[in-house]
Amino acid sequence: MNHDFYIGWEAKASTEIRKHVRWMVAGLLVMTLGLALAFAATQQTIGISVFEWGTVKKFSGVLRLQPYPHLLVSRPGKTSSNLNFSTYYLVAPFKFGLPREKLASFDGKTVSLQGTLIYRSTQTMIEVIPDSIKAGETKIDWLPDGATIGLRRQKLVGEIVDSKCFLGVMNPGQLLPHRACAIRCISGGIPPVLLVRQPDGSAHYFLLVSTDGRPVNREVLDLVAEPVQITGEVERQGELLILRADPKTIRRIK
Amino acid sequence: MSVAYTAVQWNRQKKFYDFALVGGVALYLVTFGAVTEIFFPFVTEEILLMRAFGTAAFLLLHIILCIGPLCRLNPKFLPLLYNRRHAGVTCFLLAFVHALLVVATYHAGGDLNPILSIFASSPITRSVAGVPFQPFGFFALVILFLLAATSHDFWLANLTAPVWKALHISIYFAYALLVGHVTFGTLQGETSWLYVTAMAAGLGTVLGLHFLGARKELEKDSAWEQKTDDTLVDACAVADIPEKRAHIVCVSGERVAIFKYDGKISAVSNVCQHQNGPLGEGKIIAGCITCPWHGYQYLPETGASPPPFVEKVPTFNVRVNNGRVWIDPKPNPAGSHAPPALLET
Repeated sequence: MNHDFYIGWEAKASTEIRKHVRWMVAGLLVMTLGLALAFAATQQTIGISVFEWGTVKKFSGVLRLQPYPHLLVSRPGKTSSNLNFSTYYLVAPFKFGLPREKLASFDGKTVSLQGTLIYRSTQTMIEVIPDSIKAGETKIDWLPDGATIGLRRQKLVGEIVDSKCFLGVMNPGQLLPHRACAIRCISGGIPPVLLVRQPDGSAHYFLLVSTDGRPVNREVLDLVAEPVQITGEVERQGELLILRADPKTIRRIK
Repeated sequence: MSVAYTAVQWNRQKKFYDFALVGGVALYLVTFGAVTEIFFPFVTEEILLMRAFGTAAFLLLHIILCIGPLCRLNPKFLPLLYNRRHAGVTCFLLAFVHALLVVATYHAGGDLNPILSIFASSPITRSVAGVPFQPFGFFALVILFLLAATSHDFWLANLTAPVWKALHISIYFAYALLVGHVTFGTLQGETSWLYVTAMAAGLGTVLGLHFLGARKELEKDSAWEQKTDDTLVDACAVADIPEKRAHIVCVSGERVAIFKYDGKISAVSNVCQHQNGPLGEGKIIAGCITCPWHGYQYLPETGASPPPFVEKVPTFNVRVNNGRVWIDPKPNPAGSHAPPALLET
């Protein structure tokens, strides 16, 4: 037996070499364990959001298509916002928004639909099962206030995210590692949202539309997942905060 | 060494090596997954797996790249090198799972072909966001695949050692691509000091160890002052060579391993035919020069592997005069008999 040399096909290594190999392997395993613990525990981008994947529920309410498809659902009892309805964004499966043209006949009317809930903080979305949207069979005994309240012109700094992933389909669903996915989602019709973080960690969400209220999916693709500054008119439509701005004036912040 | 090709020539050390390798990978994946689920219960599964497999592949690649220079600095690390190719294949498999999850999660299910999306979904701009990190990862994965697919000795023999070695050097290009992939990807989202420090420490360790290994080699080459007569070069003193070991000298730009064994001196090229391992750092076992990397063997007098093996390395003519070894700098053709110099007893 060679005490200072060992090659793998030899039957046995010397005690000295075996001892050294054991220390090396133990050292590598300890390093592996330590790094796995440290990398996992120090992730910073995973928030609190839920996608109820696999759970399909029935919803009924009033369908609105502007600025992006959403459902107004009756909310019984008193609420802090004094609204008698909740607003749920509506999207299609995968990386697509709902086809507005196909749903034009339902705009402003009562519908029932089936889908899966996605939610984060105060925002809720439904991934709608294709062709599950039907004209409502029952009359609603509440009337959503569809009035738009203009707030004021604001200069906002934040990140443009695709609302579907950010609200919970992917977690994390923001920042540069998620950029390609966000671009595909917004390109496919998912509503783009400006995410504005407050110093206390809370966030405001602004649906992005053009100055005349049209969707701006195509126009914002190159600006997704980066810090941007947008100046525009903020208005409230029920629970939705909408930011009307000319996409050409959106500035990338270095 | 093998005459016929088999998928894996299992032996005790390879089994132990793979057991430790698979155990280490499983330990990393399970720990990363469990800790993430405990600290961040709302994480989505596909992203948890994507991160676990991606970081495991990158960590394993660092370990693989450090093994070579560590062995140059201290031969005690050689057992890690013996079955390194299995670590390389494992690294590719981890990276491949990471890539599958990335494509299925981020690029599929949209309005563009998922593979096209890898290249088209990051518009190039003048900001950091404009650096397209996904293509870096794609091309690194292609290289890792080529290296894993050609890791078997079948490809080494058919591509020839120089071509195979040149191909496998591209692991450094893949590593550079992955440094870009991680820096312009994950590190733009995960900005904790730990991630940034780990990236810098990993890069620093790989570069630092390669620098130290190269410096040691250069020091060895330049430490020796070459003296010549008409045809022979004064290589070293016989006393400089330990029994059944070699002394390495650089003659006319080529490293030569001069072995002392059983009262004889022989010299062969320092470069193993198998994977260019340093024969001079090997040992004479059962009458054969044995490469320290994978145990390929050569007869010292002929530079030929004992039958039925067919590998051959060039030999050098040697003389011993007044306790010093002199060698002819002109190599003999690979496998040629060069009579050993006999030592006076």
